[in-house]
Amino acid sequence: MLMISPRMASGMQEKQYTPSLLNFFVYNPTFGQKEGEEEKKILFYHPSDVEKNEKIRNVGLCEAIVQFTRTFCPTKPAKSLHTQKNRQFFFEPEDNFWIVMVVRNPMIEKPNKDGKPPTVEYQEEEIIDTVYGAVVKQCYSMYKLFNGTFGRQMEAGGVELLIQKLEKFFYRYLQTLHLQSCDLLDVFGGISFFPLDKMTYLKIQSFVNRVEESLSLIKYTAFLYNDQLIWSGLEQDDMRILYKYLTTSLFPRHSEPELAGRDSPLRPEVAGNLLHYGRFLTGPTNLKDPEAKFRFPKIFVSTEDGYEELHLIVYKAMSAAACFMISASVELTRDFCEQLDGLVGPQLTLLASDICEQFTVNRRISGPEKEPQFKFIYFNHMNLAEKSTIHMRKTASVCLTSVHPDLMKILGDINCDFARVDEDEEIIVKAMTDYWVVGKKSDQRELYVILNQKNANLIEVNEEVKRLCATQFNNIFFLD
Amino acid sequence: KVQLRTATYIRYKANSECQNNVSSPTLDKETEDAATDNDRSDSGEFVVTMLAKAKLEEQGIGVKGRSSPLLEVGTQETPAFISHRDEDVTAESWRQHRKHVFVLSEAGKPIYSRYGSEEALSSTMGVMMALVSFVQSGDNIIRSEHIVVFLQKGPLVLVCVSSSRQTEQQLRGELLYVYYQIISMLTQASISRIFEHKKNYDLRRLLAGSEKILDGLLNLLDSDPSFLLAAVHCLPLACSLRDSLSQILQKAITPNLVFSILIARNQLLTIVQEKTVIEDARLEPADVHLLLNLIGASSAFQAGEIWTPICLPLFNPDCYFYAYISYLDPPECTVCLLLLSTDKEAFYAVAECKRKIEEAMMAQNSLSLIAKVQSYSVSQVGVSDLRHFMYKPFDVPDNYRHEEEKMRLLDLYRYMHNRIHSTSRPLKLIYHVAERETLLAWVTSKFELYTCFSPLVTKACAITAITKLLRWIKKEEDRLFIRYPPKYSTTPNPSKSSRGGKSDQQDSTDNGFLSLL
Repeated sequence: MLMISPRMASGMQEKQYTPSLLNFFVYNPTFGQKEGEEEKKILFYHPSDVEKNEKIRNVGLCEAIVQFTRTFCPTKPAKSLHTQKNRQFFFEPEDNFWIVMVVRNPMIEKPNKDGKPPTVEYQEEEIIDTVYGAVVKQCYSMYKLFNGTFGRQMEAGGVELLIQKLEKFFYRYLQTLHLQSCDLLDVFGGISFFPLDKMTYLKIQSFVNRVEESLSLIKYTAFLYNDQLIWSGLEQDDMRILYKYLTTSLFPRHSEPELAGRDSPLRPEVAGNLLHYGRFLTGPTNLKDPEAKFRFPKIFVSTEDGYEELHLIVYKAMSAAACFMISASVELTRDFCEQLDGLVGPQLTLLASDICEQFTVNRRISGPEKEPQFKFIYFNHMNLAEKSTIHMRKTASVCLTSVHPDLMKILGDINCDFARVDEDEEIIVKAMTDYWVVGKKSDQRELYVILNQKNANLIEVNEEVKRLCATQFNNIFFLD
Repeated sequence: KVQLRTATYIRYKANSECQNNVSSPTLDKETEDAATDNDRSDSGEFVVTMLAKAKLEEQGIGVKGRSSPLLEVGTQETPAFISHRDEDVTAESWRQHRKHVFVLSEAGKPIYSRYGSEEALSSTMGVMMALVSFVQSGDNIIRSEHIVVFLQKGPLVLVCVSSSRQTEQQLRGELLYVYYQIISMLTQASISRIFEHKKNYDLRRLLAGSEKILDGLLNLLDSDPSFLLAAVHCLPLACSLRDSLSQILQKAITPNLVFSILIARNQLLTIVQEKTVIEDARLEPADVHLLLNLIGASSAFQAGEIWTPICLPLFNPDCYFYAYISYLDPPECTVCLLLLSTDKEAFYAVAECKRKIEEAMMAQNSLSLIAKVQSYSVSQVGVSDLRHFMYKPFDVPDNYRHEEEKMRLLDLYRYMHNRIHSTSRPLKLIYHVAERETLLAWVTSKFELYTCFSPLVTKACAITAITKLLRWIKKEEDRLFIRYPPKYSTTPNPSKSSRGGKSDQQDSTDNGFLSLL
């Protein structure tokens, strides 16, 4: 992606290039070990129009690097390779299966006079390993959510099936990667929880119980409001990747038409049901049409002894969304969908307006929401709860932050430092621009605060942060 | 036709015991000479030896003898350095070394390995070379549990494999030091020439015996913070003593003498430089470090006077200076005089300077005064919560006794240094509360400060402590640091030594002592 920043008087423009994806490939060195059969190791390669020999060479290089690092530490081989122009990340999610992502470093192109080619300055330090390493892991998790593990695919249909599935998934998924906006939140891979009062929470709980009892096929349920999670019956790791899929892929796809005006042609066909506002986001888009075919996406979640395959039903009413997961071995008929629609629709609509009311009431009590006073990011490793007053809008394509990207990178650095030890720590830094950044790690929780107080000193900054903790995190102990 | 000829002289001072036998009449002529020699101020027998004469031919056929006596003296070694040359490279213990360093040529020929012999590692080196050529040119690193840093300088490739948690920039800086140390022995120009003519030349033939010097450098890099801060440690001296020593050096000059350096206990006492030719150029701290390492790496220097070619890579990587090195206080050998000249025939003239210097110092009783000087401790600063600090301009009092603790502390300082000097997001201040200590690092336009406190210190306390510390340093500044090396002139009027002192123009690198890298 290209961003142009105009230079001052000279009229010459300096072009800033953000990090972008160069290569992405999946390989297994144990396939094709004989000379002449190297191509068999490659299971997926992007971009696909690269010459075969070059693919083999790149994969060979990765193998060599991994082997080389094993000379010094056999159990923990290479994670990344830094070169001037790009950065490669290595990830071994399953035995002998390697995923490699190559990112082109951000660079600045400075035009030269007299028709000389522009000088290019690579900014290696801008890319933080932990951030993009997390992105690679996420790619695998997302693949695993929809396809199960590589091992399982091999069992089901051998290498050919695996290659097919990889191609089908990554071809689309890679297009959704927006490497220029990856940051600390990708490292956390957390979930934003919706704050609720007890009554409403209980209402939701009982709704879930009622539905699960009436429709006994349902194995797991998840309840979200406004892109934030309220309740989930899934394992944490599965929920976190499902959450990412819902909030960055499924919901945005369906929310834009919803936001369109009443008379707009984009507005979805209200399926003629005046009793409730509920509709299927996955599965049948129009229940009235008996001929229309539909299918639910299948996902894989882990269980004690492996995994299970489930249908994913996502049903939405206004801002509330409920996910129901049913074993894939069951065939879901139109009748079943109508039954679900009839049962869930009205209840969910009611709940949604209840929650909305509560939310508005609460806001009135707590005062109008002006620009949040503190810019902070909070993450709890135990329940994956994350909260950020820095990120304003996060969709698949855009992630607006209200602070300078350099400050976000400083947060990334502090997070790296915290990750080195298990103990609780605190790091306060003053950046060149006189912004103060405070990082606190306590008992599996991390808090990062950015303060724009140029003339403050260390003591004053400390007091400010204490004030923040008292209001927002008063029941959590952070080091002083 | 290219010729590199070097000659070395070593003068040995006979043991004083010999002189006692002089009176016996049955002695042969030599000792009689010795008897007459006794009358001279430099008593003892003199042996002038031409140690090495090397001629490098363009065809790169080989070198007769060796190129530098510095390398030679390395072989007459003390057990000061444990040799890792014969380590088994397949053993677990080899893998567990904190930091491996390898040097090889572009053609993949091994040149040096810190642990294990280069021969045993030739296949690993081959792999490294393949990686380097495969991946694009430039400086590359691999990150895993260890971090692998590649640096290519001219025809040499240097690789470091480290589990020390240093950053790539710091490790690259260390590799650069190794490269410069090699240059200091051979010059960059000759290395380029050698490899231009013969790509698979085995550089070990020229570097035989130098492993200890490189080993010593790597040990210093690990344990001495002066490399990290690109500054040189000065022995804290009373102003008057330092001035008197500088004056002594300034008076003892000869044409073509460019630098006169006095060192005690591996710390700088004073440095004076020639005014006209050198002008305001200064010796980079890195060059001083390399010199100190060369001198420290071999105890053979302690025996007498050495005259040897040496290259100062940051000053001029392509030519040799000639260094006169002599300890002034045998046998303790803590005070060393280093005189650098551009004239290779000037041995006797420079030795004469040394004689003058020695005389003057004896008159002022300098040696015993120097011996009395003590290094710093934090308690002298009088700040109670402070455990350790490093300040550049520079001082490192020592509170962490145990080796491992020292290393750990230095690692912590290195991490802070890296964050503060990050090229893309530098910082002004870091306050890091960790389990075992609280660290504070602060950089301004005038100084860099790294401090270490108890983990329970409060912020208010830390700030107060720092303020006290800075005040103390300001007060003691003249004693702790050498800001402006005095100068002399060896051309037209050698007797008129102009005292450079504090130059009129404000030094742009105001942080004082010897300019930053």
